[in-house]
Amino acid sequence: MPDKKTARLSLATHELADHYLSGRIGRAIQPVAFTPAPEFLAQAPTPNRHYAEAVRLIAAQAPLRILPGERLVGAATLKEAMQHRMPATPFGSLSHSTLGFEKAMQVGYRGIRAEIEARMRRGGLDEEGEDLLRAMRVCLEAAAVWQARYVAAVEQLVSDSAGEDKRHYAGVLAALRRVPENPPETFREAVQALWLLWDFQRLCGNWSGLGRIDKMLGPFLRRDLEAGLISIDEARELLAHFWIKGCEWITAQDRGSGDAQFYQNIILAGVDEAGVPVLNEVTGLVLDVVEELHISDFPIAVRIAADTPEWLLHRIATLQRLGGGIVAVYNDDRIIPSLVRFGYPLEEARNYANDGCWEILIPGKTRFGYQPFDALLLLQETLGVSAAEASPRQNKAECTEWIARPRGAGTLECFADFEALYADFKSRLAREVNRLLDERPFDKAPCPLFSLLVDGCVERGRSYLDGGPCYTVRSPHAGGLPDVANSLLVIRRLVYEEKSLTLSRLAEVLSSDWEGQELLRRRIQADFDFYGNDNAEADALLQRVFNDFTDLVGATRERHGVLRPAGISTFGREGSGFLPHRTATASGRKKGAILAPNFSPSPGTDQRGPTAVIKSHCSVDFSKLPCGTALDLKILPASVRGETGLQALAGLMRAFVRLGGIFMQIDVVDGALLRAAQEHPELYPNLSVRVSGWSARFATLARDWQDMVIARTEQTL
Amino acid sequence: MTRGVEPPPVTGWVYDIQRFSIHDGPGIRTTVFLKGCPLRCAWCHNPESQDCGVEIAMNPGLCIGCGRCLAACPRQCQAMEAGRRLFRREGCLRCGACAASCPVRALEVIGKDRTVESVLQEVLQDKPFYETSGGGMTLSGGEPMAQFAFTLALARAAKEAGLHVCLETCGFAAWEQYEQMLEVTDVFLYDYKESDPVRHREFTGVPPDAILDNLRRLDERGAALVLRCPLVPGYNARDGHLRAIADLANGLRHVQEVNLMPYHPLGEAKCDRLGKESRLRESRFPDESEVSRWLETVAAQTRVPVKRI
Ligand code: SF4
Ligand code: SF4
Repeated sequence: MPDKKTARLSLATHELADHYLSGRIGRAIQPVAFTPAPEFLAQAPTPNRHYAEAVRLIAAQAPLRILPGERLVGAATLKEAMQHRMPATPFGSLSHSTLGFEKAMQVGYRGIRAEIEARMRRGGLDEEGEDLLRAMRVCLEAAAVWQARYVAAVEQLVSDSAGEDKRHYAGVLAALRRVPENPPETFREAVQALWLLWDFQRLCGNWSGLGRIDKMLGPFLRRDLEAGLISIDEARELLAHFWIKGCEWITAQDRGSGDAQFYQNIILAGVDEAGVPVLNEVTGLVLDVVEELHISDFPIAVRIAADTPEWLLHRIATLQRLGGGIVAVYNDDRIIPSLVRFGYPLEEARNYANDGCWEILIPGKTRFGYQPFDALLLLQETLGVSAAEASPRQNKAECTEWIARPRGAGTLECFADFEALYADFKSRLAREVNRLLDERPFDKAPCPLFSLLVDGCVERGRSYLDGGPCYTVRSPHAGGLPDVANSLLVIRRLVYEEKSLTLSRLAEVLSSDWEGQELLRRRIQADFDFYGNDNAEADALLQRVFNDFTDLVGATRERHGVLRPAGISTFGREGSGFLPHRTATASGRKKGAILAPNFSPSPGTDQRGPTAVIKSHCSVDFSKLPCGTALDLKILPASVRGETGLQALAGLMRAFVRLGGIFMQIDVVDGALLRAAQEHPELYPNLSVRVSGWSARFATLARDWQDMVIARTEQTL
Repeated sequence: MTRGVEPPPVTGWVYDIQRFSIHDGPGIRTTVFLKGCPLRCAWCHNPESQDCGVEIAMNPGLCIGCGRCLAACPRQCQAMEAGRRLFRREGCLRCGACAASCPVRALEVIGKDRTVESVLQEVLQDKPFYETSGGGMTLSGGEPMAQFAFTLALARAAKEAGLHVCLETCGFAAWEQYEQMLEVTDVFLYDYKESDPVRHREFTGVPPDAILDNLRRLDERGAALVLRCPLVPGYNARDGHLRAIADLANGLRHVQEVNLMPYHPLGEAKCDRLGKESRLRESRFPDESEVSRWLETVAAQTRVPVKRI
């Protein structure tokens, strides 16, 4: 039921939202029921053509779905797509990028087709290029087939209905007939165009971020408002329908890493290429819709800066207080200069968006990939300790092997002082970074559909995966840095300053998971001020590790034609992939403990509240981290109550900007609430939590993930 | 004064410094809790603040029975009998040796004699947040005025460092001291505990006259005031007192806000840890409907904004 304070949307829209959020739509989605004919396979001479013909088949055969009262049409109705697979073929699908919807809105499919044709006429493409462009052209034809089916279906509805319904369908039809083949001319057409551009990719299994929705849609709305073509309330309804349809894949029954995670990120505000603020009516409407419907399936980030108006921060704070970490912030004042410093032209830097989580990229121009590795394992190597299990993902090329390499007995004693020990760690860090920097990510897998919306692919005659985009990015991402720094802090003090135990003894203690050493362990936890407490000594060590990592990566801006911006992340691996390979840590954590998420403090170590966390976090020079990182801040509702609470949240965000942070997600949560939701998921079907850039419906998380979220929530009280 | 001889630095007994305090005045604040209080409110939340000087708190729930404090104590105050940890406070020197030896902070030293400079330095760590939120430093306690010289020096140093300063006070101190605080205090968070003089004496141990007198004089001097009103079921949470709160706010010119502070029974657990008797007859969290009714009752009778803290 709409909350009276925020009820701006119609009852019908609320009912539609409830319908989608119940998971009924998602659960009804079936696996693909058609396959390409064998004779077709024989005809398709190349993987690209094979792929493109499969897209055409999907466009012609996928079930349509038009619900009564929906103001937008188009639906991604194949189960394989929800599972991030290409339906009807064995080909892979893509995510972790934000496609060039803005350009596609400016020129329409029509314009993209013209560009392909012009490129083919100009000649000079090699065989691969010709093949790719032909396949792209087929994908465009397929998109037109899909659209035509919806046009026909809505025409039928128009002729079958009367009165109010007829007017409704006629309105839908008018927009649908023109876009996205042609560039939209009105706000309504623009919203419909964006939906179809995005959802057709999804129908074929590709999950793209949405990007800068207010920048794309705002100018249309302003023009329509001025011309009196639409009211602000009607515009809000349209956007609400976009949000609601974005829940088409909710099933609320599946378990796992959460069903709200389709990388459909949205980024608001900031500046345009010329440096003019984007903030417009659509920015506010999006926040209205999210506040009222509490739909978190599009994780929202707002680009803020020193000159962000107070009312916008206030709006963001209001939404943050609803819980679920629905709205995060990026700091333009930090990010734009560091992108320029990395080498992007200023106009490109100003247009940055995210990849589906929070990594920073230039939308519509970037092939993005990151290479996670666990810095804590490198420290384990230095100490000669390792967890017994072998990595289940050893062979996954993208990841480091995630097993500490053994070291010979007795070698620890050769670290005469802390510097010698640190030098060993650093050499391992260098080895790992160099290994990552040497990777060549190019791939011949077919992806003509995705390539359609990425600048550079047509011109170069190369696909998204094969060096086509203006920027191919491969970003080494370090995990575990806060725990490395915390461990080093303890080692330095106990082993080299107080000399109360030797390094080999410490290694034994860690190998045995603190067996018989509970007192020492507790003492360490009680006595040390770790990262996150605004303590100069702890933060200085973190800065040192950070600087060494970013300098090692920063020395190589580009290798093999691939950009290499540094990033810091764990993306939940602190509770999954990294976990089995970590031993106990010198910072007093036992094996199996969930450690620092992304670049946030390790759970339970931050004792001095959010301001101290922000100070510690921002004590490093983030201009050296062009791919970004995240601070996840958990705050209890009681501490941000009332108007004062909103001011305080706004003050935290402003200070974060001033202190030079990159990305911060404030999550107002209550451990008791989460536990209640774990016991009675049926009562809290839509309670959402956000973990490292993505949000998930709590009820859809597997139990161990829920436990992890609860543990993090409670330890940071 | 002889040249070259520095006066000893002003120090004060501080028992906590809390960052990101947002209900002790405007914006994001750091609250400095000082020890010592001339009142003895039956419902005191912070019994550890009542006495000046060091106190030793024990939290038996955290104790792991390692026995280190037994060895550390020069007076055999810490004992283990039939598996139970005992703390015999009679002979305790408050030397803190036991707490220093405890690996799990089951024993804690409460209160530290600190210089103005060291406290200010810690408070300044959050300066960026004060600037972005309109916050600053709040002096609280205990009763900050019980350590007047320190409170004045700290407030002055904070003002010189450009901070907004709030003073939370029970009003029980000499007027001359409040007069000196005027120029270094931006907002007085002034307690109003009980409107009936007899009850006031019973609940707090002192008569209300001097308190009300100081309040009126601060108002006459134009001091910005926030009335802070603890509401404790079974004590002062009755309609007559709620009306008196509104009347008081209406009768003064510079009250910016009335804060109602529903009681929470946290103080009791703290009393246990300190080996103190709780004097409370009744202890429960007031329920939400009760609190809303209090808010409405007061708000209906005054134009001063009423807030729940
Ligand atoms: S403070 Fe000193 S005297 Fe008192 S119990 Fe502790 S060690 Fe013993
Ligand atoms: S030192 Fe601490 S943990 Fe050990 S017995 Fe004493 S109070 Fe308990």
